Amino acid sequence: MSKLKKFYMNDKIISPLIAIVISFIIAAIVMILIGKNPATAYGALFYGAFGTEGALINNIMKATPLILTGLAVGFGFRAGLFNIGANGQLIIGALLATYVGSQMQTFPFYLSIPLMLVVGMLGGALWGALAGWLKAARGAHEVITTIMLNYIAVFIANYVVNGPFQAPGGVPKSPEIAYSARFPNLVTTGATWLSAGIFVALAAVVVVYIIIEKTKTGYEVKAVGFNPYAAEYGGISISKNVVLAMAISGALAGLAGTMQVMGVYYRYLGSLGGSMGFDGITIALIGQNDPIGIAFAAFLISSIRAGSNQMQIAGVSKNIVIIIQGIIIFLVAANRLVKTLMVWKRKGVEEI
Amino acid sequence: MKKYVVALLALVLIMSTIGAAVTVFFVTDTGGLGDKSFNDSAWAGVQMAVKKFGITANVIQSYEQADYIPNLTAAAQVSDVVIAVGFMMQDALAKVAPQFPNTKFIFIDGVVKAPNVENFLFKEQEGAFLVGYLAAGVTKTGKVGFIGGIPIPPVLRYQYGYEAGVETYNVLNGANVQVLSGYVGSFDDPAAGKSMTNSQFSEGADIVFAAAGLSGLGTIEAAKDAGPGHFAIGVDQNQDYLAPGFVLTSAMKRVNIAVFDGIKSVVNGTFKGGTTVLGLKEDGVGISPMTYTKQYVPKSLLSQLKVLEKAIISGKLVVPNTKESFQSFQVPAIQF
Repeated sequence: MSKLKKFYMNDKIISPLIAIVISFIIAAIVMILIGKNPATAYGALFYGAFGTEGALINNIMKATPLILTGLAVGFGFRAGLFNIGANGQLIIGALLATYVGSQMQTFPFYLSIPLMLVVGMLGGALWGALAGWLKAARGAHEVITTIMLNYIAVFIANYVVNGPFQAPGGVPKSPEIAYSARFPNLVTTGATWLSAGIFVALAAVVVVYIIIEKTKTGYEVKAVGFNPYAAEYGGISISKNVVLAMAISGALAGLAGTMQVMGVYYRYLGSLGGSMGFDGITIALIGQNDPIGIAFAAFLISSIRAGSNQMQIAGVSKNIVIIIQGIIIFLVAANRLVKTLMVWKRKGVEEI
Repeated sequence: MKKYVVALLALVLIMSTIGAAVTVFFVTDTGGLGDKSFNDSAWAGVQMAVKKFGITANVIQSYEQADYIPNLTAAAQVSDVVIAVGFMMQDALAKVAPQFPNTKFIFIDGVVKAPNVENFLFKEQEGAFLVGYLAAGVTKTGKVGFIGGIPIPPVLRYQYGYEAGVETYNVLNGANVQVLSGYVGSFDDPAAGKSMTNSQFSEGADIVFAAAGLSGLGTIEAAKDAGPGHFAIGVDQNQDYLAPGFVLTSAMKRVNIAVFDGIKSVVNGTFKGGTTVLGLKEDGVGISPMTYTKQYVPKSLLSQLKVLEKAIISGKLVVPNTKESFQSFQVPAIQF
């Protein structure tokens, strides 16, 4: 009995780990086939991700938004919802927060920073809750509504920073936020800086963990995710929890966008969204929708990407990094296969 | 005597290693290599310099906006010359260049004022003007389209030059060709470029000019899929070959020449911080020879274009490159 228990407890960690190891092996084979030395390539990758102060800073700065969007998507998954709209939610959150932040020139930091964070989360929450409401009230599948809302958010943002909310100079970016609203930096080296935003992301991991595991809301959300009708039979309101889950998910995504504004760009840029919203899906998948797992998954992806520039200096194409990420995702998604292999292996051992 | 010979030999040895020892790192913007226009053109310039001067060259492709500072920093740490390509990198380069005063930076499409940065700007509007005039003359539906990547200054110059070309055609030929314009929002999304092109086709445009890097490849594909009578206009490089017969022409921007000139100045020791602006006169911009599409263009139109080219080069015709200058643009009286 205890052997099985151990299997279950470790499985969530082992599956992704095996997937990562296999993916690095496959990528190494690819590298050998194209005539590059995997050892130097991985050495360069490691150096680019951890080797210098600048590398670590770059790594952590990349991980911060990934943790948050990963949490956003992962939380949605726990409620049985596919939140593909993290991109739109973070854009709306960032846009609103930037607007508020740019008006707070006379506010002290202990007012402006919390205010911007709250506004950013509210913006994302509203955008997410919209899709949630459409599902609860009309049955509209959240995959479609969130993707459509993504486009709407992008076009709203484009319109706004090219017109009413454009910084002088004719470039599509907003005016800067107030100096007091900037997130403090931990370290500054060369041309890069490490924003304290990473603490916000880590705090979010803890908060999400508490919500999911320790609160009634988390219980209800999980119940709706496992089996909506059973939950309803038990007295839990499906529609309320669907909207709530999408709102929390959107709030996390909005926080991701806001942190990018407060810690990196200090304004809303046309390309603020980037691939963060969709990377959140990847991160949630690799992290198995568990807050701690998501944090690790975010650092894994950020390390790989941070190391990619040193790998390119070592002569290995940036596409190898994309291959590595792709194989990890493929294998994690196919973790049933890995699970089955593990069961076979166990059977093999027991038979002997 | 012996000492003299040894000294001379040593000098020759040192001189010969100067060219070979120059390392060049090219940092792309998010479009990356393979965009068949902007970044590829710059890389071609680097390769020309490799052949001519024997330098060693390498490339770092940026995946997202947040990569610019780390990539530029990493390149500057290991290289003598860093080529930064793209306006989106301006803020990042402005932060990185002062950190590495001994590294020389060549910057395309923007300006960073520093003694170790050589900037190259282009008069995209002049090439776009010719292309716009041509499109207005060839269109059968009276509507032509423009698709931009992100409304940054180089793309805006393309847009307003194009619209000025169409307006000039209208005034000088008594026509009423309209321009539909839109922005994709990124330089690396061919699918979005294709769908925007298709919606412009369905609104009646038959020629669409895409100044959108990789996204513009979607425009070319859309023209090919839409069939004869629909054209795309390429950008930055000669893209006519990508879909022969469906790319009417390309508004060329000789980024490769600028990059080559920049590297040459480093090798020759004439590198100096500052800005060079390349236009039609300097052969920095132009239109493609239209190898596959000459049959669609009336000879009279081609000779009109030649007259306009001369007018631009002589300074008689100043092509607008911003919204304000476009609105106050007066089509000069030109005799054909």
